[in-house]
Amino acid sequence: MITRRDFLKVASSATLGASAARPMLTWAAGDSALPVPGKEGLIVRSYRFLDLETPVEYFNTWITPTQHFFVRNHMHEPATLDPSDWKLSVGGEVDKPYTLSLAQLSKLETHSVVNTLECAGNGRAFQNPKVPGVQWQKGAVGTGRFTGPRLRDLLERAGVKATGKHVMFHGLDDVPGRVPPFIRSIPIEKAMDSDTLVAIQMNGMALPKHHGFPARALTPGWVGAASCKWLTEIKVLDQEFEGNFMSPGYRWPNQPGKPGEAAKPEDTHPLTALNVKSLIASPGDGSTVRSGLVHVQGTAWAGEGDVVRVEVSTDDGGTWQPAKLGNEKAHYAWRLWDFKWQATSGDYAIAVRATDSLGRKQPTVPVWNPSGYLNNAVDQVKIHVKA
Amino acid sequence: MSKLSRAVVGVAALLAVPVVRSQSASSSGLPEGPLQAKAATACTECHEARIIVQQRLNKAAWTKEVDKMIKWGALVEPQDHDPLIDYLSTNFGVDKPEYVADRTTTASPKKTKK
Repeated sequence: MITRRDFLKVASSATLGASAARPMLTWAAGDSALPVPGKEGLIVRSYRFLDLETPVEYFNTWITPTQHFFVRNHMHEPATLDPSDWKLSVGGEVDKPYTLSLAQLSKLETHSVVNTLECAGNGRAFQNPKVPGVQWQKGAVGTGRFTGPRLRDLLERAGVKATGKHVMFHGLDDVPGRVPPFIRSIPIEKAMDSDTLVAIQMNGMALPKHHGFPARALTPGWVGAASCKWLTEIKVLDQEFEGNFMSPGYRWPNQPGKPGEAAKPEDTHPLTALNVKSLIASPGDGSTVRSGLVHVQGTAWAGEGDVVRVEVSTDDGGTWQPAKLGNEKAHYAWRLWDFKWQATSGDYAIAVRATDSLGRKQPTVPVWNPSGYLNNAVDQVKIHVKA
Repeated sequence: MSKLSRAVVGVAALLAVPVVRSQSASSSGLPEGPLQAKAATACTECHEARIIVQQRLNKAAWTKEVDKMIKWGALVEPQDHDPLIDYLSTNFGVDKPEYVADRTTTASPKKTKK
């Protein structure tokens, strides 16, 4: 196994201090703009470590530009990453374990997947009662074009033994204190899917550091946590990986519980694919628009399903009318949608709901779970229409 | 102690000072109270205060969080355990107003306001 020290060239504390101390220059919340190279106008959920949310008004393109793409880090990003030293090992329950340099990985045949990546905790802030964790509202989601070798090709080169049932990803997150390392696994069937990648590009460019440079897993249609960043080790296991970020982290109760109720660990299962979900990008919540033709616009996605219908209500859920789906589509990517509304003056609650090819619909209120995962409740904005 | 650990502790020491200094001047930093300094050192060694001040949790939930963080390396002396939970659940309880977040910019940082 490659250790962190083989890989990281630890920057001097002076260098680290200079960059890390920057947030303290602009401390008061809500009235400051915090510098993050390559990321413009994002909502700062955390600056050290970095967690950035995309404001919904940016969701007006099928591909989310990288500068507007959300960032979810569990820990600190690797302090220094030297691509010439970086290695990716493939081992575990395989016949021929091996290691690749970035140059070797980059020479392999690549495949591209347009994928809607969503943090499992997106929408956590709307859980009632409140639950601990990054208080994501609507924008821990985005759609990118990810490119890299298929994970299947890497695994087949190593020769997966019959005992190989799960595939573990280990990233180079800089782990503070005694926090457990960010290691998770996915079942072998998903790992061998032709769309599961070791991505080295995002939106046509080398992966930016915030998104896992030089390589990340890309497990399409699944919660973002299945797409480990700063990937350095792929290990085939005979069972699911046992660690904090598999249990108790990222699990869902087998039985629905009452709001506020805890779930017994043995009565839960790991999160996998995303739910069906939709968002209103415009008009913005609390905004005022002129009467007449109003374009209500947004996005809808469904993990491993396909969005088949998006409906909009302009009367607080009383009646629903179909929205027009955008032409751009890919299996794991969201659809843009548009609803033309002849608005007269007054105050309105506008809502959207999607249905997918698996027959799934969105609930009207968040489904309770103790960590606030997978909130796909119907989205709503309140607006004023002036004459 | 490894070079990496020393670097992390070095950064934490650098960061702890401005946090403490800015608290009383900011409505959204760690607020004043008998456990302000303990919270600043125990919690912000690994993450900044922003991740704390956005939470709205009752005492039972704060107790679970504090105990988890102690397990993960937060240095909280036994006599500070209950007062720290009281401090967090008083200041970041379910009845507090909604947290307003900052935005990012790609521009250069502003100068320090003194």
